Amino acid sequence: MTLLEQRTSITFEGHEPNLMEIVPGPRPHGILKYVTSTDHKQIGLNYLITAMIAFGVAGLMALVMRTQLIVPNNHFVSENVYNEMFTIHGTLMLFVFAGPFAFAGFGNYLVPLMIGAPDMAFPRFNNLSYWLYLGGFSLLMAGFLTNNGAAQFGWFGYAPLTEAIHSPGPGADLWLAGIGLTGLSGIFTAVNIITTVFTLRAPGMVMFRMPIFVWNILVTMFLILLAFPVLTSAFAMLWIDRHLNGDFFRAAHGGQPILWQNLFWFFGHPEVYILALPYFGIVTEILATMSRKPVFGYKGMIAATLSIGALSMGVWAHHMYTTGAVLLPFFAAMSLLIAVPTGIKFFNWIGTMWRGTIVLNTAMLFCLGFLSMFLFGGITGVILAQPVLDFQLHNTYFVVAHFHYVLLGGIMGGLGGLYYWYPKMTGRKMSEKWGKLGFALIFLGFNLTFFPQHDLGLRGMPRRIETYNAGMGWNFLNELSSIGAYITGVGVLVTAWNFFSSWRKGEIAGDNPWDGQTLEWACSSPPPDHNFEALPPIRSERPVWDANHPDMLTEVGH
Amino acid sequence: MHQLTGLLATNFGSPSGVTTQDHYTRELWRLSGYFSVPIGLLVLGLIAYAVLRYRRRPGDDRKPAQFQYHIPLEATYTIIPLVIVAVIFGFMYSAENHVNKIAAKPAVAITVDGFQWGWRFVYPNGHVQIGTADYNNINTNNDLPVLVMPSNETVQLHVVSLDVVHTFYVKEFLFNRDLIPGINNVFDINVTKPGLYPGQCNNICGEYHAYMRFLVDVMAPAQYKAWYANQPACSITTAGVSAIQKGNCSVINAGSNFSGNTQG
Repeated sequence: MTLLEQRTSITFEGHEPNLMEIVPGPRPHGILKYVTSTDHKQIGLNYLITAMIAFGVAGLMALVMRTQLIVPNNHFVSENVYNEMFTIHGTLMLFVFAGPFAFAGFGNYLVPLMIGAPDMAFPRFNNLSYWLYLGGFSLLMAGFLTNNGAAQFGWFGYAPLTEAIHSPGPGADLWLAGIGLTGLSGIFTAVNIITTVFTLRAPGMVMFRMPIFVWNILVTMFLILLAFPVLTSAFAMLWIDRHLNGDFFRAAHGGQPILWQNLFWFFGHPEVYILALPYFGIVTEILATMSRKPVFGYKGMIAATLSIGALSMGVWAHHMYTTGAVLLPFFAAMSLLIAVPTGIKFFNWIGTMWRGTIVLNTAMLFCLGFLSMFLFGGITGVILAQPVLDFQLHNTYFVVAHFHYVLLGGIMGGLGGLYYWYPKMTGRKMSEKWGKLGFALIFLGFNLTFFPQHDLGLRGMPRRIETYNAGMGWNFLNELSSIGAYITGVGVLVTAWNFFSSWRKGEIAGDNPWDGQTLEWACSSPPPDHNFEALPPIRSERPVWDANHPDMLTEVGH
Repeated sequence: MHQLTGLLATNFGSPSGVTTQDHYTRELWRLSGYFSVPIGLLVLGLIAYAVLRYRRRPGDDRKPAQFQYHIPLEATYTIIPLVIVAVIFGFMYSAENHVNKIAAKPAVAITVDGFQWGWRFVYPNGHVQIGTADYNNINTNNDLPVLVMPSNETVQLHVVSLDVVHTFYVKEFLFNRDLIPGINNVFDINVTKPGLYPGQCNNICGEYHAYMRFLVDVMAPAQYKAWYANQPACSITTAGVSAIQKGNCSVINAGSNFSGNTQG
């Protein structure tokens, strides 16, 4: 209590205050700091900014694809370039942007702050993770510099199309190595964060007082440990096939191409929740803070996260319903069951807002964007979880629309998180005016891009086709979709501009601009090295709120 | 504008299929619609209500409620979805058995071979329909291979990949099945409505994936019989295929004469 009162006396008058440096001595700046720092906050920022660059690059590729598809029989790019575009777009979005942005970027920055720790358990190891990740990103991009171009077989690279005879050249190898490196980086981050959460929690921060965000990151990290090694092994097998004359996936030599699909999706479906769970956590934190209420059904929320994590390990073959080689009822039942904990989360989010005093700022708007879009993606997910309906819709644009609603729904939550924690990271707020404009453009553009794609899928348009016949009834919907993509692009530019310009010119935020509830709001903005000089008492899962509002403690009982 | 009206139609936007299996697929689709549309609207409505009702307006000094648990409520929204999911699963399971049923004695059995980037349809007497598309112009249907089959009879398709993974997909059949090297995939189709339907490979299979199209020509049984009687054993109907893939058989005619909108 007293601690927090002293905190608010830190003022920002005209110049940057010299925030408490616990370890004296000169500090590296600029590039040197970026390269050498083992501080979890610096590494978190490195991840966030690298991931945003990847998002921009992959987004440009999406615009190339939408331009190619805007009219039938178009020749804007060649078949091979188009195939490169969707392959690297998907790969970057999943392995370099959506995952690392949340679990490594926000995860690194926030987990130690939220549990009252000075840093991650293994700071140097953390630095290594980042460089492996950046190496992976570079290798993926390097494919474009090779003579045969980058990988061209889609982000799930079904064997035997990926075998040397069908995809010769170093592009595919760079793809394998690039994803392999980001995978290793993810495994290292998982080891680091799990250790941090289990060993470095502040006194009083028992497991059931950790913010939902930390819980979700923790479950995500376990999913990474279960899923990524399988992917790495599958990649090693494919590498052996390509270069050492192995026969894992070559049917003519006794191999089994279907094995690749099983291994890949055994990783690939947990991966979907690796992407989603951190964003669930981000949204939960923002909803609670902006409604000025505790998270409704806190323990139920954790149970839902745990059961999503558990179920996600048993649903991989719902990507393989049409292979004729999987046990359909089992995977259908497991996939349908995931709707239950996800539904619990939705009602808990509504309960969190119920009878609160909701502040409708940009961060909150992005959360509402997340809720509405993820809801829609979830419902189409229940449809696709049924093998009979998947027989109809498999690999059509209906599926493309479904997973973009799910993933871009998540990204909306991530952008909300950016607006929400930006003041903590920089000491300044992002502009609300530009923020709301960016939100409106992204929301409108996104829905215009992907809503018509459901109908395209029902009208039989397969995904990953470079062009289409004019007589199929797909022309108008593709046109709409492409226009939507351009609008989304403008919205992303506005948001990026807001992000970079506010860094120097944004309104000074102070330590706790949103009346936050969790521990990261108890230190200065940006936090000093090693984070905390002292902590408020931790008696619930929202220690800062308890300290600031002793008259509004969480009601006990139901 | 008619593209948009499809979404508002009774079947929740789903197209009509032309097979006997269509019935089960669309019943399931409708059932999913009956559950998901009201649930979606309910959740969306609750979100909208909460935001509008509890929004903080200027000069608003309400204190936010600080409740956290309501066990009966939480149990309710755990159990009800469980029941809904179980019901959906039950209907799905029965539909699946109908759609995946394989007849012991189909009227016609045809082997469907997929290759980069074309199709080969092999009939019981050895007659072959084969073709690859014109890679320069997707708007022409001249070189497409044609799968000829009778209507109102059980046609068994055995799908085989000659190289990489492909997927047999005909929109009007509401059906996809993969062609995977090393996997024997067989399924039955019973088309009730004669006509020409476009089909397409639905799994990325390399450079000209988009051009890996074909046509299904469904004829009345008598018409099909006449057509089949006219195809000598080991004859080939070919379109845009190089001599190598023709093997030893002699070519008897070339090109399909399909053009224009397939919806008819």
